[in-house]
Order: sequence, then structure tokens, then C-alpha cells
Amino acid sequence: MSLAILCRRAFFDLRQNFFGQLITTMVVSLSILIFAFFTLLYFNLQDFVDRFGTELGLTIFLTKEVPKDQIPYLYQKLTDLPEVEKVTYISSEEAFRRLEHFLKEEKDVLEGVDPEFLPPSFEVQINRAVFQLDRIKQLAGEIDKWPGVSKVQFGQEWIDRLHVFSGLVRTIVAIIGILLMFTAAFVVTNTIKLNVYARKEELEIMRLVGATNMFIQGPFLVEAFLQGLLGSSLALGIVFAGYSFLQGFETKFELLRGMNICFIPWHYTVAIIASSVLLCVTGTALVMRRFLRL
Amino acid sequence: MISLESSIIRFKDVFKKYYPENVVFSGIDLEIEKGEFVFLTGPSGIGKSTMLRILFCAEHPTSGEIWVDGVALSSLSSAQVPYLRRKIGVIFQDFKLLSNRTIFDNVALSLEVIGLGKKQAEQRVMQVLEGVGLKGKMNQYPLRLSGGEQQRVAIARAVVNRPSIILADEPTGNLDLQRTEEVMMLMEELNARGATIIFATHDERLFENTHRRVLRFLNGKIRT
Repeated sequence: MSLAILCRRAFFDLRQNFFGQLITTMVVSLSILIFAFFTLLYFNLQDFVDRFGTELGLTIFLTKEVPKDQIPYLYQKLTDLPEVEKVTYISSEEAFRRLEHFLKEEKDVLEGVDPEFLPPSFEVQINRAVFQLDRIKQLAGEIDKWPGVSKVQFGQEWIDRLHVFSGLVRTIVAIIGILLMFTAAFVVTNTIKLNVYARKEELEIMRLVGATNMFIQGPFLVEAFLQGLLGSSLALGIVFAGYSFLQGFETKFELLRGMNICFIPWHYTVAIIASSVLLCVTGTALVMRRFLRL
Repeated sequence: MISLESSIIRFKDVFKKYYPENVVFSGIDLEIEKGEFVFLTGPSGIGKSTMLRILFCAEHPTSGEIWVDGVALSSLSSAQVPYLRRKIGVIFQDFKLLSNRTIFDNVALSLEVIGLGKKQAEQRVMQVLEGVGLKGKMNQYPLRLSGGEQQRVAIARAVVNRPSIILADEPTGNLDLQRTEEVMMLMEELNARGATIIFATHDERLFENTHRRVLRFLNGKIRT
């Protein structure tokens, strides 16, 4: 059977059983929609944790006794680290000014205090592309041993808590995702089964006049391919529309500002579409195989 | 006596049992010659349809061997069954037509399956529809036709790919006398063109005044 005949028969069947095909496509679409929503949630959570980690950065306090000429050397040493995005030097005077600004009306308490009592420090912003919590912890430990450094501080506790929380949420999302995948597979396969059974008589007649299994299955598999492709594309389209809608709100609402909502990475999008197609085609092949058994 | 060389269908010690103790065939030996027109008769539920279903491989015998056109059915793999079915045209009492396809498409299905070219198929379908007197209704849908017309469409579908064997399972069961005669004439015509016909019926009037061989089912055996 040539591809042209196969496609012609598939499109004839699509026209003939439009409602059944539409229902199957909708079921696929809804299942993928729920799955894609959770995937989107997962990636945004992941992104948020990563960004939060980099935004906290490192604060490196120097000893008061550190010679002035060693500061540019330490600055250069920090800048040369691949994990470091940006280094800002905060002198004792700058730190004092910040403290005054922080205390606002109560800055009088600092009257008579020597600005030099605050240690100079470096504020280090971590490179987002190479951010890894374990590496940052290790780096902080290494810097802590450098001569002239008194203490390295970063929001370890916060990051740790966030990681525990995000790990928990990720596990929950992954479990829900897997359950949804099985539910989707079950629902889609059963919808396909109903569709095939609705055309039972037609298939029996085809077998009767000597149609090979491939001849009978062919159009069903093409239909399943299209259902998987269209159903998942539609679902991802809806999720993308929702994402774009939220992005519009991001600039309008203070609460959402800075959240930087991200979409599902493109290779995951392709994987979702491919899985949906695979699910529909495999489901149909299995149902047909059972049906066509002699 | 029929010679083995000329027999197109042969049953050798065929048994068919349904679970648990329903014995349909108990050791059937039978030979049907090429070009023969045989009637298969017996009361309803005796096994006429089962025999036809076994011949087009919709069912398997419990034991024994059957040859169709020289091929032992037990040696056929499931992938080979469709090719055997293309040598057999089957006509049913309930017509088994696709209600969502036109008369033309219903008949053309048998040719679509064997991959015949569109033009050639068109020609062949028109020719056969003309033969059964339904050329003028080829664009209509089955449910718009009378029972007799629907049966003629089913016959057209069964013969359009020129099978050497035609199995007719009570094809006149739903028809009045006039339509029954029309169908019988068509079957005679097909037989005259060389097709072997096995005609299952419980209506004895159809073979009362005929010289055709009549196979009668009785207690799981066949009496000629």
C-alpha cells in the first residue's frame, strides 16, 4: 500500500468519523494540558530556586588589618573565578554609610563611632549559568581560608531550606506527572479502543474481503499520529497562551514583578509532543493488534 | 466419484467442538469439485455457517485437515489468511454492507484491498454493478436500497475481484420470493462462469427441482 493511498484512506476515515476523532484529540489534548501545566510549574520552581541562589550571592568580610595594597589583588583573584559574575568592593566608609542609611532617623546612635569599626568587604554575585549550591558552599570554604579574609557569608540556611522545599515540591510534581502520564495513557487508550470498536463492523468487512492487517491498521495509525500531534500541540499552545498572559501581568502587578516566569524548555516541549504521538500510535497499535488477532 | 485433482475444497476427518460438549462436526470427510454448485442444508444452528466460517478462516476446526484450492488451512500463518480470503467471495444473510459508504465504494472495497489501480477498479465495479442491475444506484447509500438490492450489492462485492469460490450463507434468508429468484439466477450465472459455489440454506424449496448436489447436516455428519 503506497503512502498516498494510506493518507487518502486516513483522510477519508477522518472525514467519516470526524466526531470520534475529535473526541479522541480532545482527550489527548486535555491529558497533555494537565501534564504540561505541571511541567511548567516544575520548571518555574527550578528556575526560581536557581535565581534565588545566585541573587543571594556571597559577602566576603576582610580583616581590619588587611593591607590596602592587597585589596586589588583579592579583587582580581575573585574576578578570575569562573563561578563569579561580578565583584563589588565595599569599603569600611561605604559600609558605614549603608548602615546610617539603614538606621534612618536612628542614625544618631552611630555618633562618635569610627567608620573604620566596620570591616571592608566584597559583594560577590554568582554566575547563574554555573550556579550549583554544592560548588558555592565549597567555594565559600576555600575563600574563607584566603589570607586577609575574616568571614565568608552567604544565605546558606535560606538556600538549604529552599532546596529542601523545592526538592519536595519537585518530587510531588514528578509523582503527579507520572500518575498523570499513566492516567493519560489509560484514558487515551480507552478512547482509542472505543473508537476502534465503533468501527468494528467496518474492520470485520475489510478482513472478510482479504485486507491485510497493515491495510486495516495503516489509516488508524496515521489518525493516531495526527491525534497525538494535534492534541499535544493544542495543549502546549494553551499553556503557552496562559504563560504569555501571565507575562503581561508581570509588568502590571508588583507581586508578580521580578518573578521572571519561564516557559517549558523547547527540547522538553518537543519531548512532550513526541511522547504524545508515541502514546497514541502505540495505544492504537496495541488495540488494533488485539482486535485483529485471528 | 470426484478426483482429488479436480477438488477445490477437501475436508478430511474434521471435528469441531465448542466448549464444553457441543459437537458440531464429528469427523467430516468431504470433497467439492472445481466449478461445482452445492447446497448445504440442515436446520438452523446445525453448523452450516460454522463450516463456511472455517472455510474463510474466521474459525479453526478442532481437529482434522481442510484444503482450499490445494492449500492446507492448518499450514497458513495469520499473515497469509488475507491472501486466501481474496480467492473466496462471501455473501451473508445480513449483507454486511458499510452504511457510510456508497454502493460504488462498498463494491470497490474488495478491489481497494488488493491494490488494483483506480481506473481499472472503476471499470470493474461498473461492470459488476451493471451485471447485478444496480449501475444506476451506485452513488446511493445501502440503507436507501431494498433488501433485495442490498443483497445484490453484497453479491457484487463478493464477486468483483473474481474469486474462484463463493460462499453464500443464507443469502436469501431475508428476501421475498421474487428477490430470492433474482439472487438464485445471479448465483447460477456466476457458477456458469466457473465459480465454485457453496450455498448454505435451510429453505428446501431452493433446491427441490435441481440437479445440484445437496449436502445435509445430520448429527455432526454430512449426508449427500
